[in-house]
Amino acid sequence: MPIALEEILQTIRMTEVEHFDIRTVTMGINLKDCCSDTVEQLKKNIYEKIMRVASEHIKSARKIESDYGISIANKRISVTPIALIADGFFKEDFVEIAQVLDRTAAELGIDFLGGFSALVQKGFSAGDLHLIQAIPDALACTRHVCSSVNVATTKAGINMNAVRMMGEIVKRTAELTAAQDAIGCAKMVVFANVPEDNPFMAGAFHGISEPDVVINVGISGPGVILRAVKEAPANLDFSALSDRIRAMAFKITRAGEFIGRQVARMQNIPFGIVDISLAPTPIPGDSVADIIKAMGLEDVGAPGTTAALALLNEAVKRGGLMASSHVGGMSGAFIPVSEDEGMIKAAEKGHITIEKLEAMSSVCSVGLDMIAIPGKTTAETIAGIIADECAIGVMNNKTTAVRIIPAPGKEVGDYVNYGGLLGSAPVMACNQLNNQVFIHRGGRFPAPVKGVNN
Amino acid sequence: MTHLSEDDIRQLTKEAINQLGAKATPAAVEKIVTDALQRVQQSRDPRTSETYSANLSAVKPAQNRIIVTAFGKNQIGILAGLTAVLAQHQCDIIDLTQKILQEFFTIMILVDISPSTESFENLKTAITSKGESLGLKVIIQHEDIFRTMHRI
Repeated sequence: MPIALEEILQTIRMTEVEHFDIRTVTMGINLKDCCSDTVEQLKKNIYEKIMRVASEHIKSARKIESDYGISIANKRISVTPIALIADGFFKEDFVEIAQVLDRTAAELGIDFLGGFSALVQKGFSAGDLHLIQAIPDALACTRHVCSSVNVATTKAGINMNAVRMMGEIVKRTAELTAAQDAIGCAKMVVFANVPEDNPFMAGAFHGISEPDVVINVGISGPGVILRAVKEAPANLDFSALSDRIRAMAFKITRAGEFIGRQVARMQNIPFGIVDISLAPTPIPGDSVADIIKAMGLEDVGAPGTTAALALLNEAVKRGGLMASSHVGGMSGAFIPVSEDEGMIKAAEKGHITIEKLEAMSSVCSVGLDMIAIPGKTTAETIAGIIADECAIGVMNNKTTAVRIIPAPGKEVGDYVNYGGLLGSAPVMACNQLNNQVFIHRGGRFPAPVKGVNN
Repeated sequence: MTHLSEDDIRQLTKEAINQLGAKATPAAVEKIVTDALQRVQQSRDPRTSETYSANLSAVKPAQNRIIVTAFGKNQIGILAGLTAVLAQHQCDIIDLTQKILQEFFTIMILVDISPSTESFENLKTAITSKGESLGLKVIIQHEDIFRTMHRI
């Protein structure tokens, strides 16, 4: 059947007016074969492997962008969690490895490289501990490196020692990067149930069961969904509203998978998954918050917000699953504050609070994402916020995460400003009640009954 | 397509080592053998040449059909101008739709670019600059993207 003019115009409107693009084409690279007895050799192996494998990545992605007229906003790289391949080395060595990763990213022209990571849901190896301790310095002396630590899973429960430690690491990272509004914290995520094939930063890494090299794709299209919802009459019921979102999600996922497969084919490497998360940007009209508002709420935060987000997330999944056989990663709507124009406005007006965002995180893919809080917030309070998110993730068998920024010297009403995709955010109020005894209990928080499913 | 036996590959490797002499490092030998294998496989089966080619510009989408979409204020000579550029570069027009709403002109041309010797990039530049000289916004994309998004 020939393609109709209307269909062509619809695609062009999506890309030209509604900001539809492929948010990221991320190349996952296995570094397990880089292990070595000496840190010098390990650094050399890492540098050479990434430079060799990814040399054509950007060039291929640019060619595909030009051929199909769909822009790929970011071309990125994720690597095997560094704690695994550098176990046995020390904190200072980990910082040096981060610098090598930073240099490869800079030389390849890649904005973010993920995988300065550790998986410690059940306990720490020596390498895990050294990596975690190295995070603040590593993020302070690099530009492109992203870090993530998984502290909980539904199977293993929550490692409360790691939760406490991450509270301190977030604080320390903020202090070391205070001059740039604590940008280090924007490049670090604490996870529960982390997916191993996530293409989105800052949480991307190349899981241990992944092939040697793989291409994963993250789509983005809040603007496209927004139009579908905006055009819906006020009396359209939820089934019909969901249908509209589903149809659009199908189209953008198909485009995402197609583009990803082409980039993979060009470099002769396997295609992994499409992550069907709706990822907003600070550009007007490219906002998840605006979709929620368009459903008939005065602003994000109004009663009904969590339900609206659940409807959106579910409808996107239905369309996306039909469109692609390999859906993975986070695959749910993102609700970062600083990266979403509608969320920023709602935060400025006090319409959303951390508690409301926490509730929303129980029905979407990430969690408390890119939220600035007062610099005086203690490590224990941050650990408490992480523990709460972990509990939501572990008990509901889903991914949750915390990427929170205790901006040094800033109070409620001040701003952090990063520019670009990371955007800017008003500092939000954060409950400062004392939780010292709870956080310092330590140990392992038992896995839920739900985790025992065989 | 017949595959090379292991013996053939061993033979090739020996030959490469002999030729390289003192310069034979494992990496250099591997490169020569892989390159040779690729050339052999390509010459045997043209269909696989795209997959094996490391040269990016040689990789072309399976079907070489593009869709040219242009919008702008209506004026005399738009269709003539665009089709002249296509003809000049040996591009075959397969389908064409145009609409004029009041003063506003929209055209969609489905073009087979396989007879053309020009690269996609050069064609794109040629058509776009012609369109711009006529006051049009021109968008050029391979057809597959529309097929992917709008057909199951």
